[in-house]
Amino acid sequence: MIQNFQIKNSVIDQIKEISLEEKKFRLKNLDVFNNEGFPNNKNEEWKFTNIDKIIKTNFKKLILKKDINELKKFDLITNFEHNYIILVNGRLKSFNLDFEEKNEVNISTFKNNNFDFKKNNTLINLNNALYNEGFSIKVNDNYKMKKSIIIYNFFTKELKENMINIKNKVILGKNSELHLIEYNINNSKEKFFNNTYESVFLDKHAVYKTISINENRSEGFFHKFSSNTLLSNTNYTAYIFPAGLKFNKVDLEFNLEGENIDCSLQSASFLKKDEHQEIRTKINHLFPNCKSYQKVKNVLSLNSKGVFQGKIFVKDKAQKTNAYQLGKAMLLNDESEFNSKPELEIYADDVKCTHGSTSGSLDENAIYYLMTRGLNRKESTSLLIDAFLNEIISTIKSKSIKEFIKLKFEKQIYGH
Amino acid sequence: MSKENIKTNQEYKYGFETKIDSFKAPKGLSEDTIKFISKIKKEPKWLLEWRLKAFSRLNKLKEPNWQKPKYPKINYQDLYYYSSPKSMKDKPKSLDEVDPKLLETYKKLGIPLNEQKKLSGVAVDAVFDSVSVATTFKDELTKKGIIFCSISEAIQKHPDLVKKYLGSVIPLTDHYFATLNSAVFTDGSFVYIPPNVRCPMELSTYFRINASETGQFERTLIIADKGSYVSYLEGCTAPMRDENQLHAANVELVALDDAEIKYSTVQNWYPGDENGVGGIYNFVTKRGACRGKNSKISWTQVETGSAITWKYPSCILQGDNSVGEFYSIAITNNHQKADTGTKMIHLGKNTKSKIISKGISAGKADNTYRGLVDIGKKAQNSRNYTQCDSLLMGNKCGAHTIPYIKNKNSTSTVEHEATTSKINEEQLFYCNQRGLDQEEAVSLIVNGFCKEVLQQLPMEFAVEAQKLVGISLEGSVG
Repeated sequence: MIQNFQIKNSVIDQIKEISLEEKKFRLKNLDVFNNEGFPNNKNEEWKFTNIDKIIKTNFKKLILKKDINELKKFDLITNFEHNYIILVNGRLKSFNLDFEEKNEVNISTFKNNNFDFKKNNTLINLNNALYNEGFSIKVNDNYKMKKSIIIYNFFTKELKENMINIKNKVILGKNSELHLIEYNINNSKEKFFNNTYESVFLDKHAVYKTISINENRSEGFFHKFSSNTLLSNTNYTAYIFPAGLKFNKVDLEFNLEGENIDCSLQSASFLKKDEHQEIRTKINHLFPNCKSYQKVKNVLSLNSKGVFQGKIFVKDKAQKTNAYQLGKAMLLNDESEFNSKPELEIYADDVKCTHGSTSGSLDENAIYYLMTRGLNRKESTSLLIDAFLNEIISTIKSKSIKEFIKLKFEKQIYGH
Repeated sequence: MSKENIKTNQEYKYGFETKIDSFKAPKGLSEDTIKFISKIKKEPKWLLEWRLKAFSRLNKLKEPNWQKPKYPKINYQDLYYYSSPKSMKDKPKSLDEVDPKLLETYKKLGIPLNEQKKLSGVAVDAVFDSVSVATTFKDELTKKGIIFCSISEAIQKHPDLVKKYLGSVIPLTDHYFATLNSAVFTDGSFVYIPPNVRCPMELSTYFRINASETGQFERTLIIADKGSYVSYLEGCTAPMRDENQLHAANVELVALDDAEIKYSTVQNWYPGDENGVGGIYNFVTKRGACRGKNSKISWTQVETGSAITWKYPSCILQGDNSVGEFYSIAITNNHQKADTGTKMIHLGKNTKSKIISKGISAGKADNTYRGLVDIGKKAQNSRNYTQCDSLLMGNKCGAHTIPYIKNKNSTSTVEHEATTSKINEEQLFYCNQRGLDQEEAVSLIVNGFCKEVLQQLPMEFAVEAQKLVGISLEGSVG
């Protein structure tokens, strides 16, 4: 148990089978967290999200999770054929790669071998100190996966005032391809805190597509930091549908370490009562001729708060960079709030960088138009919201996946 | 574009120093210094107390360090906080009594003080270091009931107005440099426009930093009463220097019901040489409050000088239907650094704001736009439009955009757009073909890029500003 959110060193002594080096690494990180605590709004990256306050108002204590990883039977998605991984509270339970050739894709429990100590976001330090769950996927060179992998990411109903620290790793070899769908299923009705650190590495010419979506609404508090390293000629596409959680911050950093990289990130969410969601991105253009694209759309209802902080950094030698960023928000209610900080930091002259941010209400003229065509106000509103958010979903290429996501997304909006 | 670098040989045009003995306060920042300043200016007791209150708060504050341009630590104990030309100890009553050396300085600066007085139609309140030298066109303004004088004079003659409004927009409890100014401000301008009066001419003041090691701490206060209008110009040039000089001015604007204030600045202080040695630190706090209904405050700035420019002219839109505008051109060359932008704080209903910012960066300079648009809960039907464009010349400079956007009202609309690009080579080629050399072509294109802002300047400034844009970028074409 964490008293006053301070964690005793003895917690780390209890972690079994770790080397002396790892132990030192964990202790050092723990020290940073104990000294500095959760980030607050004095930290520029947490300007609009005072997680220190949020945690302290919602939790009296945080209990480190003991083994509560049992899972009842569940049904697999039948909409399309897929490989799958089953995670329970972050722990790798089982996986199935029936559609793939043998030994081309490796899935295992996460093992850390990087003990470079860095002082950064104290939540990462916390994760470094306490992680005990997670998986890694490695796709071999020149292997293009035949089917997508769905991660069934279960959070069990026993979770209550628990804290989970997870580390995941995705490695794509040269000229390989992976489609990954992260499907979060939250069975807990109570508040809990999930702190994930994910690292993604794309070797030359690799193609990575990822979608993440929540199956249902829950009282979970989620923070995910994703560190992405892309080498030349890679293609990265991400769709994030992060709504449905009480608190969710998705923190994505990209290092484009090669030429001709194409990096695209899109997100759509409909935030309901008391939800707090932030997407923060940082794209570092370090080499010439790369392209990055970001589009984040939010609809905010009742007392919800949405934040988008996006930063594009272009190094002096990264000429011919093409970076695009757009944040759009629709506020449905005076109790809702949208904050955004689209940031550009540019040191190269031959670049095309644009960003835009808009926030406003529903277009009354459009509602009027629809109402004159016989729809009532509620229907008109829903139609406009649908159109606003579906723009993101409609760009998903695979038809069957698109249908599936659409179904789940509509459930996020209208279900429950 | 030709790869060959054309070296800049453009010397700072206004780099001269008038040799006049200065009357200085003792070095260093202390209660004694403040008491000295207050005594020499024959200030009332309340103002001294106000200054001391600011000073005691200053001691608790820390210098901010979140800004992009970093600078060496300033030793506040090594500065003079008051200096006035000696011959000014007894204030001259007319232009004839003014030190001819001073008049010569103004001539070099091109301030229309003497013969040009009537022709230019500009009333000038020139601040030479810290004491106002002469104020012209007073009669004409007095007839209309307009008060335009130095703030020291206003403190003596109109204490009620000063007491009522001083510190009402930038309070004592503000940030470090604003509080420093409150404690040690020496002089500045004061404008009061009575109800329903339209100021017949552009009011203008030229600031000039002269005596070495003197931080200048002006305080400007402009009040536009109900239904009035005023346009105020501020232009700055400073002599060439090697050590860095601090400039921390405070400008407060108050617009009451149906009033409008237009505040334009052309800032051309010494930017340091091409190696980044010397130059002015321009850390200015400018803030306007649209207190009344239907009031309007418009900031226009052309920032070409200073080693570091760090300022955010802001509008607090309190009154319903009030309007805030910000038009800015920031040009940085060589080692110059600018971190500038605006804050638009929407509190009243139907408030509108517009931000147009053009940043041009060349050489090894860094140019940052940093701004805040904050729509409060009660600001129904508010609107904001922001456009930030950056132009980069060369790959050793930087252009950054850091907008903060907060929207708490569902009936309000906020739009933000930003682009970063370089000079179009086809346009350059076209200009070259028509006989313009590289620098002329760049100047023309950049002036076109800045057009939306330059248009906002009053006539007198527009011409000067256009020339400045060209001059500031000389030597940057590579």
